[in-house]
Amino acid sequence: MAQIEFHEVAKRYANGHVALENLNLQIRDREFLVLLGPSGCGKSTTLNMIAGLEEVTEGSLRFDGVEVNAVPAHRRDVAMVFQSYALYPHKNVYENIAFGLRMRRHPAAEIDARVRAAARSLEIEHLLERRPAQLSGGQRQRVALGRAMVRQPSVFLMDEPLSNLDAALRVSMRASIKALHQSMHTTFVYVTHDQAEALTLADRIVVMREGVVQQLGSPDDIYERPANRFVASFLGSPPINFVDGELEADGAGGVRFRSAGASAFTLAVDDDVRTQFASRAGQRVSVGIRAEDVDEHAGDGRCTISGEIRSLLPVGSDQFVGIDVGERPGTQMGAGPGAQPVFFRAGKERRFAVGERVSIPLNRHRLHLFDQTTGTNLRTALS
Amino acid sequence: MMSSSLFARRMALLAASVLLLAYVLGPVAWLLSSALQREADITSIPPHWIPHPPTLASFRAIVQAGLGTLPADAAFVPSTAQYLLPALRNSLVVACAVVVLNLAVSVPAAYAMAKIRYVGRNLSVYFMLATRVIPDIALVVPFFLFVRKLGLLDNVGALIITYLAVTVPFSVFMLLSYFEGLPDELDKAARVDGCSRFGALVRVFLPLALPALVAVILFTFLTSWNEFLFALMFTQTAASQTVPIVVASFTSDFTTSFSFINAAGVVAIVPPVAIAVLFERYIVSGLTAGAVKG
Repeated sequence: MAQIEFHEVAKRYANGHVALENLNLQIRDREFLVLLGPSGCGKSTTLNMIAGLEEVTEGSLRFDGVEVNAVPAHRRDVAMVFQSYALYPHKNVYENIAFGLRMRRHPAAEIDARVRAAARSLEIEHLLERRPAQLSGGQRQRVALGRAMVRQPSVFLMDEPLSNLDAALRVSMRASIKALHQSMHTTFVYVTHDQAEALTLADRIVVMREGVVQQLGSPDDIYERPANRFVASFLGSPPINFVDGELEADGAGGVRFRSAGASAFTLAVDDDVRTQFASRAGQRVSVGIRAEDVDEHAGDGRCTISGEIRSLLPVGSDQFVGIDVGERPGTQMGAGPGAQPVFFRAGKERRFAVGERVSIPLNRHRLHLFDQTTGTNLRTALS
Repeated sequence: MMSSSLFARRMALLAASVLLLAYVLGPVAWLLSSALQREADITSIPPHWIPHPPTLASFRAIVQAGLGTLPADAAFVPSTAQYLLPALRNSLVVACAVVVLNLAVSVPAAYAMAKIRYVGRNLSVYFMLATRVIPDIALVVPFFLFVRKLGLLDNVGALIITYLAVTVPFSVFMLLSYFEGLPDELDKAARVDGCSRFGALVRVFLPLALPALVAVILFTFLTSWNEFLFALMFTQTAASQTVPIVVASFTSDFTTSFSFINAAGVVAIVPPVAIAVLFERYIVSGLTAGAVKG
């Protein structure tokens, strides 16, 4: 049970590398906060600073209002699960789990009771005498969770705990971790680069990039209202489609989107953007379209994208249709020499053929417009 | 049925192994054998490999010389024989002290260099190793002046200090590469679990580094036990002379007593062999203990 607060925190290394810059973040008591970002974005550094494993170069880190900058790791009431699990190879499972309690001089009977209770809840009771080398990856993962659980810490830290597991186990462990959070009533801070993990687990997500927080919000906020182009591209599978273009007067007192490609097309946009940005005709923007933002019932044709089908990707429940909309993008998404296809999700009952021309009506309320130079979402300028 | 060429190959390998073994162990066998022979039998031609009859006379003479109870008419005993037992004690004191002090310095140093980021880390590692590039002979004179200034001439303390200077850099280097091979996350896990830096070193890294520790102990002990040059320069009397110095002095006598020298040689190799046998199983068990897998 702790509230953690970063106040203008920076982390710089002796070699001049800046890992974090001006971090302001409040982690609420008992919340499940996920730090999400690509490698090198500063998320693990943030976690290590909470644990006390990295020093704070500048600013103030507080637990429940008390600055802990100078408190060493072993005096903070935190537990941590590592990507490699970091089990002690020379101790058996029982001793691995008991170690943190022994270091804090809990009575032997209590240690035994807590270790056995944790082992029971994680279903590793039969493994207590084994050494880590004799366990499978999933079992080691459970031992690592057990080692953190028995401590009943006020902050529970996890550094990509699932990334060494195979896909099926990862999904089932996600559910276990979520259940663990609900049963432990404590603050969880979880680092991952896997957006699906973040969306599943988090109460709130912090998206980071190159040491700077890009957006902080609920999974819905982050997914539905990305603050900038980077956040939009980091969440969602398949990744959000971008088409470059500009705002253009729609002849009715508002603006619409006009693509820059050879076969230019226009898209009507959400009403508030349409009117608020009426004076911004000519501004260079990118439109972000998620594969699922298709609206079969939008009949007026003002927000429809059409093109030739280039690829069909069935994924079991649905299929993704890649359409060439005549866009020849530059560098953004690493496009090849050909046109960048725009992917849409379609029910699998519909039959498509490669080469066929289709028109896809879009949900204009869910289009995201980003300024091309700053990358920020135009909507954030509204609010 | 083994083909004849394969058979020939195996025979050749076997012959080569036997030859190598004889080359390595032959002198040791002769040392043991002649330590148990009388002087007259050692010098006889052809030599007797099997003592006939075996005698412990030389070992008895070593003890008697050390205790000062050697009969006045004892033949074939070097004039410096009475220094051998004190020298054994000196050698043991020096070697054990160097092992203990070496570990006390090099273990924390290696841990810090391996797991703590600080400015000048790489430089300190290179600097430390660079000190070992200088040959000992070049260090003798500065060390001598240093030791004399400290008033430690003819004192085992001088040997302990110089042997530490010689062995610590390499010990740190051995431990450093071993610690670097252990994952950083183990260190972090231990600290989050409630260990101080020192606690993490003692409770997690030392048990895991047992093979490297044993290697360091063996290296340090043997270096101290065998060292000759510094011991020759810094010691003068039985108060500080070590076994290599005393044994060497036996050969510069008017008459060289082979049986006594060989018996002294056997006594001199017992402690290092005992240490090696004692720690050998730890090396093996350390290597087979479960390592971290990702």
